Amino acid sequence: MRNMKLLLAGALALAGSTVLASAEEVTLNVWTIDREEDPGYMYVMAKEFQKLHPEVKFNIKHVEFADWANDITRAVATGTAPDVAYVDNPNTPFLSSKGALLDISPYIKDSKVVDPSKIFPGPLSTVTWDGKIYGLPRGSNTIALYYNKDMFKAAGLDPDKPPQTWDELYETAKKLTDPSKNVYGLAFSANANEEGTFQFLPWIQSSGGNFDKVNGPGAVKALELWQKIIDEKLASPDTLIRGQYDSFATFNAQNAAMAISGPWELPRMSKDAKFDVGITLLPIPEAGAKRASALGEGNNVIFAKTKHPKEAYAYLEYMYSQMPRVWNEFGFVPSYPVEVKDPKWPAEYAVFVESMKYAAARGPSPDWAKISKAISTAIQQALTHQTDAQTALNTAQTTIEGIVNK
Amino acid sequence: MSALFRGLRDGHGFDALLALLALVYLLTFSAFPLVYNIVMSFQEVDMFSMADLVRPFVGLANYKTLFASPDFWPILRNTALFVLLSIVFQLAIGFGLALFMQQDFPGATYLRGLFLAAWIMPALVVGAVWKWIFAGDFGVLNYFLQQLGLVGSKVFWLSDPAISLYSVTIANIWLGIPFNMILLSVGLAGIPKDMYEAAALDGANALQRFWHMTLPMMRSTLGAVISLGIIFTLQQFDLFASLTQGGPANASNVAQYWSWQLSFQTYDIASGSAVSCLMLGFVIVVAVIYVRSTRHEHRA
Repeated sequence: MRNMKLLLAGALALAGSTVLASAEEVTLNVWTIDREEDPGYMYVMAKEFQKLHPEVKFNIKHVEFADWANDITRAVATGTAPDVAYVDNPNTPFLSSKGALLDISPYIKDSKVVDPSKIFPGPLSTVTWDGKIYGLPRGSNTIALYYNKDMFKAAGLDPDKPPQTWDELYETAKKLTDPSKNVYGLAFSANANEEGTFQFLPWIQSSGGNFDKVNGPGAVKALELWQKIIDEKLASPDTLIRGQYDSFATFNAQNAAMAISGPWELPRMSKDAKFDVGITLLPIPEAGAKRASALGEGNNVIFAKTKHPKEAYAYLEYMYSQMPRVWNEFGFVPSYPVEVKDPKWPAEYAVFVESMKYAAARGPSPDWAKISKAISTAIQQALTHQTDAQTALNTAQTTIEGIVNK
Repeated sequence: MSALFRGLRDGHGFDALLALLALVYLLTFSAFPLVYNIVMSFQEVDMFSMADLVRPFVGLANYKTLFASPDFWPILRNTALFVLLSIVFQLAIGFGLALFMQQDFPGATYLRGLFLAAWIMPALVVGAVWKWIFAGDFGVLNYFLQQLGLVGSKVFWLSDPAISLYSVTIANIWLGIPFNMILLSVGLAGIPKDMYEAAALDGANALQRFWHMTLPMMRSTLGAVISLGIIFTLQQFDLFASLTQGGPANASNVAQYWSWQLSFQTYDIASGSAVSCLMLGFVIVVAVIYVRSTRHEHRA
C-alpha cells in the first residue's frame, strides 16, 4: 500500500508539478560521473525532465570518478560549482559541513513526492548534517556474498546452504580452496584505498563497532579472520593490492569459489560467469548477531550558490520519483522501499534489497577520507604482519579519535 | 632581462617577443606553482582554501607533522633505496649496452632504435604491462620461473611487502635503461678512436683502456646522466600508481607518491606540499653539485 502511494506520487510528479510556473528559460549545470551512453542515469533523467519542463535546459558534464573531489573543490573554491551534481555518499557530509551544498529541508517540507522518513537509514544519514537535509539518494548499493554453486556441489557442500557466519565462511573457504586447480576459496578486496575500508567496515559494524569504534573485540576477531584467510592462502595474497573489480574477475573466471562484492557486478557476471551462481547476505559473527552491510552509490545534491534552486530541486525530485526504475535500468538498489516490476536477476535483487535494510553509511563525518585511511592502514598492517590485529586497530582508533574529537 | 631590452632597442622585435613569451610561460607554469607550493607548505590549507592566496601561516607545523608521522622514515628509506638501485642498475646496464652498441655489427643502428621504443612508451602503459608480468597467480614471470624450476611456490611480486618495492624498482630500471644507453652512446661516440688504437699499441688491455681512458673521458657525461637520472627517478609516479599504490602497508611507498596521497586522498594538502618541498630541496642539492662539478671541469 505504501509502495502504491509512492508510485502515485511519482506519477503526479511525472504529470508535471505546479512548482515551476514561470516560463522563463533556465539552464541547469549538472556534473555527473555517468557516461552519456550506457546507462547514463543523469542524462536520461534530464531528457525526461525536460519533456515535462521545456523551459529548463541542461548543460551536463561528465567527470571521472577519480577526478571528482579535485574538480569539485576547485569549482567550489573559485565559485564555478554546478547547480546539481552527483556526490559519492561518504563525501556528502564533507561538502554539507563546509556549507557548499543547499539545505533542501524547506523544499522537502512542501514536497508531495519526497518523504525522508521512508528513506533507508543508511542513505538518509549520508545526506543529513546537523539535522538538515542536503541531498537525495539517487539509489544505493551494498555488498553480499556471491558463490559458485557448481563448486559447492563438486566439494560435497549443499549449494542451498551458503555460509552464514564468520566461522562457516572460513570453513567453507577452506574446503573450496584447491591450489592444484588454482582455485581460492574466497575473493574480496583488502587494498589500501577506500575499497578496503568499504569491505571491512560492515564486519566491524556487525560486531557492534563502527567507524569511530574500530578496536572492539569483534573487530579484532574479524581482522584476525581476514589475516588467517590470507595467511592460509584461502584468498590470493594479491587481495592486498586488488580492488573489487579485479577480485571479482577471478570469481567469474572460476579461480575463486566465493566473492564479496556488490550488484554493480551483475551485468559483467551474467556475461562472464559460466556457472550456476548463488548469493547470500554478508556473513555475521555468529548466528543471531547484528547484520550489517556496506553502503555505496551516491546522492543528487544542489550547490549552495545556485541561481535556480527551485528548478534544481524539481529535477532532484523528479529523479527521486523514478526510484522504482533504478534497479532494472541503472543497476542501483532503491534507497526507499519501492515495488520493482519484474526485477532482473530476481534472486540477487531480493538479497540486495534485504541487505539494504542493514546497510550502514561510512561515517557520516566531514573527515571521512582521513578516517578511511586510518582503517585501511590498520587492515594492511595486520595482513602483512607488521603488527597484530589488536595493535593495528588500537592505532587506528587513536588516529580516528584525534580526528573526530578535534 | 637586459638582453631582452637590448633586443627591443636594436629592433630585433620578433626575437624579443619570442623570448618574452618563453619567459611568461616559465613564470606562469614553472615559477608560480613552485613558489605557490612552497608558500602552501607553511600555511593551513584545506580543500576550500586551495585557491585562496591569503591563508593562516602556521610556520613549520606542517613539517613537524611530517617528521612525527610513523610513515616518514620508512618512506624516506624506500625513496632512497628506489633512487639508489634505479640509478646504479640503469647506469650499469645502460653503459654495458652503450659499449656493446659501439661495436660495428650489422643492424646496430636498428637495434639502438628498438631500445628507444621502451623509452617513448608512457609509464602508465609500462606499468600495466609489468602488472601482468608480476601478477602472483597467473603472471608471466612466475610461469617462467616455475617452468625453469627456479622457484617452488608462486612469488607475489607486488603484494608481498618484502619485495614489492624491488618489483617496482625493476620496472623502473627497465624503463630507464634506454635513456641511459642513448646518452652514454653519444658520450662514447665523442671519444676519438685513434686514442684507443694508440693505447692498444702501447700494450693496454681492454680493462685498462676502459678504466684509464673511457671512464675519465666520460666523466661529464656520467655526471649528467646520474643527475638527470636522480631527478627523473624522483619524479616517477605512474609506476607506483599502476603497480602497487604504495602498498601493501606502505611497503612500496615513496615520497612522490606519498605527497599525492596526502594531498588528494586525505585532502591534507599542506602536508603534501611539505613533502614535495623536501624533495625540491634535495633535487636542488643534486643540481648544484652537478653544476659545480662541470664548472670545475671547464676551468681545468
